[in-house]
Amino acid sequence: MITRYLFYFLSILALYSAIMMLISRRQIHSVLYLTLAFFAIGGHYILLNAQFLAVVHIIVYAGAIMVLFLFTVMLLNLNTEQKSPKKMSAKIGAIVSGGMLMIVLIAILRTYDISMTHDPDLTQIGLIKNLGKVLYEDYLLPFEISSVLFLTAMVGAVLLGKKEQI
Amino acid sequence: MNTIIALTVLGVAILFLGILKKNSWLLPTILAGIPIVLILTITGWDTNRHYFNDMLIVDNYAVTFNSVMIFSTFLIFMFAGKYYHLVQRSLDDIYAIVIFALVGCVLMTSYGNLIMLFLGIETLSIALYILAGSHKESITSNEATLKYFLLGSFLSGFLLFGIALIYGASGTFNLDGINSYVINHASHLPPIFKAGLFLMIIGLAFKIAIVPFHFWAPDVYEGTPTLVSAFMVTVVKTASIIALFRLFSTSFSAVKELWEPTLAILAVLTILVGNFTGLYQTNLKRMLAYSSISHSGYMMLAVIAFSHSSANTLLFYAFAYSVATILAFGVLILVREAKGNDLFTSFRGLAKRNPVEAFSLSVAMLSLTGIPPLAGFFAKYYLFFTVMDKGYLWLMIIAIVGSAVSAVYYFKPVISMYLEEGQEFDLKAGVAYRMSLLFLAILTVLTGVLPFFLINLI
Amino acid sequence: MAFSIYDFTSFNQAIDKALYNALPPVWALIVEMTIIGLVFLLFYALVGLFLVYAERKVCAFMQNRVGPNRVGPYGIFQTIADFIKLLMKELITIKNSDKLLFNLAPFIVIIASFMAIAAIPFGKGLHAIDFDIGILYVIAVSSLGVVGILLAGWSSNNKYSLIGAMRSGAQIVSYELSVGLSLLTIIILAGTMQFSQIVEGQATGWFIFKGHIPAFIAFVMFLIASTAETNRGPFDLAEAESELTAGFHTEYSGIKFAFFFLAEYMNMFIVASIAATVFLGGWMPFHVGGWSGFNHIMDFIPPFIWYLGKTAFVIFLMMWFKWTFPRLRIDQLLNLEWKYLLPINLVNILVMAFIVLMGWHF
Repeated sequence: MITRYLFYFLSILALYSAIMMLISRRQIHSVLYLTLAFFAIGGHYILLNAQFLAVVHIIVYAGAIMVLFLFTVMLLNLNTEQKSPKKMSAKIGAIVSGGMLMIVLIAILRTYDISMTHDPDLTQIGLIKNLGKVLYEDYLLPFEISSVLFLTAMVGAVLLGKKEQI
Repeated sequence: MNTIIALTVLGVAILFLGILKKNSWLLPTILAGIPIVLILTITGWDTNRHYFNDMLIVDNYAVTFNSVMIFSTFLIFMFAGKYYHLVQRSLDDIYAIVIFALVGCVLMTSYGNLIMLFLGIETLSIALYILAGSHKESITSNEATLKYFLLGSFLSGFLLFGIALIYGASGTFNLDGINSYVINHASHLPPIFKAGLFLMIIGLAFKIAIVPFHFWAPDVYEGTPTLVSAFMVTVVKTASIIALFRLFSTSFSAVKELWEPTLAILAVLTILVGNFTGLYQTNLKRMLAYSSISHSGYMMLAVIAFSHSSANTLLFYAFAYSVATILAFGVLILVREAKGNDLFTSFRGLAKRNPVEAFSLSVAMLSLTGIPPLAGFFAKYYLFFTVMDKGYLWLMIIAIVGSAVSAVYYFKPVISMYLEEGQEFDLKAGVAYRMSLLFLAILTVLTGVLPFFLINLI
Repeated sequence: MAFSIYDFTSFNQAIDKALYNALPPVWALIVEMTIIGLVFLLFYALVGLFLVYAERKVCAFMQNRVGPNRVGPYGIFQTIADFIKLLMKELITIKNSDKLLFNLAPFIVIIASFMAIAAIPFGKGLHAIDFDIGILYVIAVSSLGVVGILLAGWSSNNKYSLIGAMRSGAQIVSYELSVGLSLLTIIILAGTMQFSQIVEGQATGWFIFKGHIPAFIAFVMFLIASTAETNRGPFDLAEAESELTAGFHTEYSGIKFAFFFLAEYMNMFIVASIAATVFLGGWMPFHVGGWSGFNHIMDFIPPFIWYLGKTAFVIFLMMWFKWTFPRLRIDQLLNLEWKYLLPINLVNILVMAFIVLMGWHF
């Protein structure tokens, strides 16, 4: 009962802040709405009993990434209200194609039978103990290989950030 | 698995050499290390091992394609010394990122799980975003990296969403698991699965640069440092096509009627748009970008005409295309350095003073057109044969029309070099560089004359 | 159990049961949340008042002064007087500032510290919420305060504020890593992230003793990094008064300034609580193996006294730092984190994992 109300509240919050992020004129407001959207999604994780994912979501997105976003917006001094430079035709095209994708997805998800993949044993999967077991037993290789991805990203960040030219 | 470990070790070793300031050791280490990796890869032949719950599958198919990609990377590194010879600083980071990108490519050929596919694509993409922008002072390089990064990360979202929907329907990330799900539910596949399938096609089509998801490609290939462009249009393209091929041949082959029309239309569009737009280009690098788009259309045909032989066809095609394109880029690097641009007019009179370079570029262009007896001819011949064999006459006709059109623009630099008068100039390529070009040209001819080593490999 | 008289679990459960019997579940939950909220608010105010007074006294002691001594005996009502003064002050709103963000920023900062304190156990059964991943939760929400600081600096439309906020952002994002990693060292030893279980695990000895040298190194790292994360001590570049007036809260006045002020002290309290809970046994009494008489006497001291005592000790350490060391430069600050603390922490985690794997800890 309570979870249902919370679900509706969080969903409306997530949708509202996502839309506001898109239509805000000031970049810094967009960033804040994005943070709010991340929080709402973190709340959804908690409703799914996935506490670890919720907290990691908040640490990574709301904590680290949003701070970097804020930093960038502040460093570039984007306080001015900017008009979108896009042409009207491009806007209409984007709205039509995005709307078509949305209609298709809504139609598809409406027919989705939720009982098809519902597994009552899975309600505990989001706890850190179970998640750790899955991660280190079934998905060990992706977990380890992702280190190559992060090493690449780190070396690349240094490469692009260094002052010396090629 | 050996390949991935060896490549990662090589990449890290390069980084350590950079820390130790052994700049002159970098290229020799790579040129010695990659053959070792190649040998380690080939030892996986016929072992057919599955690692970590089918996360990684090293079958003959993976071994051969990995070998082609590693060999192509080796060829590209042969030109690296010349390309970067004016650079003062250590290049360990750039070389290491290329090696790590290769790890991503290897993951994309040998994945047995959609998570591994996504990881491979991301490893590759992030490496490429960085490499595309590694000429920090060049505005075109900056434009290329930003364009590629913004579109690439957006389209990665489509791929990921597609994977999620497919997982939502089938409950598994495993390719074989999805296959058995598809077989069991072939008559009543839920719409969510179909949507996932098409979103994945969009995501992968972007990475391969299939029309209409190709708009980034010419600008990115043109703006990127030439050596990295060579890597992007050969190794990366091969890896992406093969990822698509493995996905559709393993998981979705039971519902071929579902995705076949889409892929066929995309392939036809790619061939036509790629070739006809190629006609209007005035410089070689952009022309090669459009050429790479049209060639990915041809390679898509092999995916559509899925059969046992199409893997072989694809292998041969990828090899022939990679060698010829790298050869063309090898000459392009020289001309760009000598002339400062790569307009077709800059190639005028090249043959007078630089016969080896002119000959190499001609071989590359003729092979890409598909003139016998070069490798490109047999690649196209087998491909069209496979397509024909499966009863896709109309696809074959369109592909042949596309090939005929492509001849026009492939001949432009050849005509400029041999027939048009121009200011004489020396490209000042070293002996070693000339030998590399000649080696590639001979390789193209030999593969064409003796195609039988490769054609029945898998 | 020796200290069962101080066990609040059954007490809490009784209240919970009574409420749920009397009211529909939604209302019972709301009432419970209100009670907890009020308790924390009160606690918050008291701790804030005490800490401000303590800081001034400690500072005076370090500088060989007397400190506040006029309002009330030993000046203990000085903070209350200051607080009333802050409440009465005019709230200045700046022209050309982003009004919404300017007013929102203090609340974000204070909410972040409120959320963090919810997970901390004050005694057996005395915590608002006992997450499965308590430590991670505290790290997550305490990192949110930086958003408020950045916004405060940005929306003030003032160069000093902006520079202070930027410094603070860079500092907190960097030092968060060390805080997390040093806590991770103890998580490896404890085998859980739940605060209640971490405290239970220290019944036979505090983790700082159980984990040999790595645990001690982690404790020192945590102290340094958390001092930096709370923008205090030698790391208070964000509000370096000699160069930036007051940093990110230059333009704030009255109660909004008080919020920043309070949040800073509460963050210090939270960080000290975590240090006390994770490294120093939380509310567990101090026991010495074999001395059963001594241990028995220790058990009679209530757990929250133990907890407050340990927290006060850590807070005293942090005040000691602040009034002893000179302020670092921003490049020194970042060098310290990225070149020293982070590598040491990573090696430390490896050593700790090795020790736990070999079973060499107590």
